[in-house]
Amino acid sequence: MSATAIDPVGLTVIWNSLLGIAEEMGSTLRRTAFSEAVREGDDFSTGLFDAEARLIAQGNFTPGHLGSMPYVIESMLDYFPREALRPGDAILMNDSALGSGHFPDCFLASPVFAGDALIGFVVNTAHHIDVGGAAPGSQRVHGVHEAFQEGLRILPVRIVREGAFEPDLLRMILANVRVPAKVEGDLRAQLNANQAGAERFARLWESEGAGVMTAAFNAILEKSEARMRELIGAIPDGTYSFDDRLDDYGPGTPPIIVAVDVTIEGEEIEVDFSRSGDQVPAAINAYLNYTRAYTVFAVKVFSDALLPQNAGGMRPIRTKAREGCFFNPTFPAASGGRAAVQIRIFDAINGALAQALPGRAMGAFSHWSNPNIGGIDEATGKPFVMYDLTFAGYGGRADRDGAEALAPVMNCRNIPIEVHETNNPVRIHCLELIRDSAGAGRHRGGAGLRKDIELLAAEATMTLLGDRHLNAPWGLFGGHSGARAETVLNPDGNAERLGSKDVRRLVRGDVVSFRLSGAGGYGDPRERDPGAVRRDIADGYISPAHGREVYGVEEKERSE
Amino acid sequence: MWRMAFDIGGTFTDFVLAGAGVAPRFLKAPTTPEDPAAAVVAGFERLLDEAGLAAGELSTVLHATTIATNAIIERKGAPTALITTRGFRDVVIIGRQKRYETYDLHMEKPPPLVPRRAILEVTERLAPDGTVEIALDPESVEAAIDAALAQGARSIAVALLHAYANGAHEAAVAAALAARAPALPVSLSSVISPKFREYERTSTTLANAYVRPVVGAYVRRLQGALAARGFAEDFFIMQSAGGLISPEIAEAEPVRIVESGPAAGVLMAAEIGRAAGEDQIITFDMGGTTAKLGAVDDGRPAVTQTFEVDPIRYRPGSGLPLNVPAVELLEIGAGGGSIARADIGVIHVGPESAGAAPGPICYGQGGTRPTVSDANLVLGYLNPDYFNAGEMRLDAEAARAGIERDIARPLGLTVEWAAWGVHAAANANMERAMRIVSVERGRDPRRFAILAFGGAGRCMPRAWPRGSALRASSCPSVPVSAPPSACWARRRASRRRRPGFWASRPARKGRWQKSSPAWRPGPGAMSRGSAWRGSRRGGVPAICATRDRATRSAPSCRRAISTGPGSRRRGRPSMPPTRRATATATRRQRSRRSTGT
Repeated sequence: MSATAIDPVGLTVIWNSLLGIAEEMGSTLRRTAFSEAVREGDDFSTGLFDAEARLIAQGNFTPGHLGSMPYVIESMLDYFPREALRPGDAILMNDSALGSGHFPDCFLASPVFAGDALIGFVVNTAHHIDVGGAAPGSQRVHGVHEAFQEGLRILPVRIVREGAFEPDLLRMILANVRVPAKVEGDLRAQLNANQAGAERFARLWESEGAGVMTAAFNAILEKSEARMRELIGAIPDGTYSFDDRLDDYGPGTPPIIVAVDVTIEGEEIEVDFSRSGDQVPAAINAYLNYTRAYTVFAVKVFSDALLPQNAGGMRPIRTKAREGCFFNPTFPAASGGRAAVQIRIFDAINGALAQALPGRAMGAFSHWSNPNIGGIDEATGKPFVMYDLTFAGYGGRADRDGAEALAPVMNCRNIPIEVHETNNPVRIHCLELIRDSAGAGRHRGGAGLRKDIELLAAEATMTLLGDRHLNAPWGLFGGHSGARAETVLNPDGNAERLGSKDVRRLVRGDVVSFRLSGAGGYGDPRERDPGAVRRDIADGYISPAHGREVYGVEEKERSE
Repeated sequence: MWRMAFDIGGTFTDFVLAGAGVAPRFLKAPTTPEDPAAAVVAGFERLLDEAGLAAGELSTVLHATTIATNAIIERKGAPTALITTRGFRDVVIIGRQKRYETYDLHMEKPPPLVPRRAILEVTERLAPDGTVEIALDPESVEAAIDAALAQGARSIAVALLHAYANGAHEAAVAAALAARAPALPVSLSSVISPKFREYERTSTTLANAYVRPVVGAYVRRLQGALAARGFAEDFFIMQSAGGLISPEIAEAEPVRIVESGPAAGVLMAAEIGRAAGEDQIITFDMGGTTAKLGAVDDGRPAVTQTFEVDPIRYRPGSGLPLNVPAVELLEIGAGGGSIARADIGVIHVGPESAGAAPGPICYGQGGTRPTVSDANLVLGYLNPDYFNAGEMRLDAEAARAGIERDIARPLGLTVEWAAWGVHAAANANMERAMRIVSVERGRDPRRFAILAFGGAGRCMPRAWPRGSALRASSCPSVPVSAPPSACWARRRASRRRRPGFWASRPARKGRWQKSSPAWRPGPGAMSRGSAWRGSRRGGVPAICATRDRATRSAPSCRRAISTGPGSRRRGRPSMPPTRRATATATRRQRSRRSTGT
């Protein structure tokens, strides 16, 4: 395939350089962004493509973006053929089907030139905290039936020419979002990232020469593909199925069936979600790009976590879902809250592959909570959007307990309490692990997490994005399920229980208590090391009664 | 007057004794990990004996130490309790929650310094602007103190929400503690790290409390031992940001000295740069396990307001964040002992390290996996007969065999090419780090020189000026142990003398090459023909530069390789003369000269 041969030494150096460029784009984006989601939460990704629109290198950022990227350039080229692109251009796009499955994720792609020749593309995507639509944060699930309610849909547009934003386009976008200053700041940060990446990419290309670079690209893709094939080849052949479900898609709605059939055949893997439920009239559908992103993630977790991600490594992985299914909906299916689905995509594949690779599998995750609370901040007289990320535990693993309170599947940082309270009219009353919530097991799951948020503004709209309120995170191989999640409005008042995708109007003084589920255990709890049970009691992860009843270990609670 | 400085490292404790008008004396002694003060006291006495001095003749003693770092890394601090706002006991357990490896769900988070049972809550609440929303409840404070004492806590950290804006509640907790247990050291977040973001502030405060008894005992023991030998003058400890602090401050705020040792290297670079007329320097300190990169901006060591201690695999986000000023350092898992392997057709180096034991194959101490040092030996960058000033011989044949087995054969390369590949891969890792330190942090690499030091540092940076657009590279002539040298360099510079650090005046090319063969062009440089030259700065014997016109012509990696070791440098290089001896002699001469005038 490669015309020019490349030696291992040159390949090593070039590959490292490309990964370094992708990382540098990410740090540029983080350092120049305005919103908490990007600046604090790391909710973005970066990538480098060759001129054939093949994904060559990505930074170590959030996998939903990473896995949706491979087809982004191809889609953009349908609108802007290569010959129409000029140095200094950048193309913006946030379409759910073409991008990463919901409007807040805005992709900005820049062609990279060496002299007059197009040599590739640099791309980054950032989660914007608002792109308009029915509710602050643009992730409202319940009551949103079609994509047109979800805010601004941007098919590929040339928003930057000769390194400068088109003022007309920018004005139109900013007029349709609730926090224009943050959106504009983040868009400009995205351009900074691309400019930094493009400059280095071009310099590397010029110093190495076209022949060597092309050979390096081919070698990177071929070697990654070969390694992925080798890793898949090591998994026993067969079809492994697993069924799980999402609670619902809003109050009073039925569950969404999540059913997967994973087929390993030689060196290829097919992950088929066709048995799952149909697309739903709420903003939570997972477009195929998004389904594919987390399928690739799951396969990587089960094969080689540290293999750099690119188009080559993805070739042996086939993601399928019938048209019109929840995991391959047709436009204008609404999808703003599709982030709630990612953990379930992983959980289902994990459940299936547990049959083939029990040592790599883990109990089901705690779910996560991704609420948006928006209204007018009386201190500034301007709209605010509090975008929150709360993560709890991992399922128990074959050789150890699940991690406590760690980003599951997606890979973001949380937003500090002091940052939230400084920037938004809210008071957070607690953030603590929930006793006895972890799924018991030889290796227990991580605990659930409670966070209580009080509104200090006169009123606000809250959209919830959670799950596992009805279907607890399951354990594996005799491990127990974790405790179910709950969302309670005014726990010290009438303690109204909310659905996981509820939408509510809050008034001053309302307190919303988020209680994430505990993660599933692994193996029979009676086989757990009694010393570990006693340690958990001493540390308050479990009560003495739980230790006695579930683990069969007698221990008095230490007074503190 | 005389001054002494010492630095405790993982393997060796280094000493330097400096006095007006005479050459400094150096001493290297094995570290005594179970009681680090023991090696210090022994070396202190020995060096004074050798110089025929009494302790009373010293005017100043300076000290850099990793004792605080090691207590954190090995989790060997004191039993500590953390007191925090009710509802937030899990802040340090939760952390910032991002995985440092995206695709690794089997990873571990860094374990907190205290178990959850030692995290105690008090009832109180402050708003972001510091106004009191819930007054501190004294009963809850007493209950927390009861629990801490019952657990046998020997140190207390207090970190309440928004205490950066108002330290009154923390101070009240401290007062209550003082009333109940006056001897118990208390660390307050409003004092140690008054900044917003609760996890980072709490982590810093907790780390301070955790190492406080250990550092305190050590400092007092050392002070006592020095006093017993008749030393009664100034005793200073270097802090992470590069300044000197008294033992009393070090004891109260030991979190300030966590990066004590590495900081000194960057200070040294600033001093050398000052003498050499270079005020923009990237520093490169490469030891056996890691490389640390820092920067000097406008003549001042760059200081960061936050850094991480004990990172896992040197991944950002994997360590414990500390909000204290520290000399900006980026640490990567690429040292002389970093292990090389071939995987999916490319060469990987580190972060796994053979360390000092078993060490690289060429040490002949049981190491079986090829390392960067083995590659450097095969390439002729290291002299097998004169390693560590002749104290060690290196086994070049074993190094060749290891590289052949693990790298050359799997990839179908000659041994020299494979060794060059290992060297280049290590260089690529460093170049990435170099980019982070330079462009990502707003430094234009074209304006910066690089200064390399540390045991392995001087073998590596020759190739960078090309790859990273750095302007020049240089290194001190003696295998310096940074902190004493830094102290020394500062002293020298403060008297407006040139430090005698530079190998020799590189103005005359012939002599330069003769006296410093380690700085002959490597394969990369050779491809550029005459790019390897001495300094062009008139009269300043400072930067032995590959100041690089070739940068613009940008020789590719391939081209560099094509004239690389296979074709040009297969043979064993001519042996370096006794470099250290030469340099020491040079320094002595110059030193004498300078005092003479």
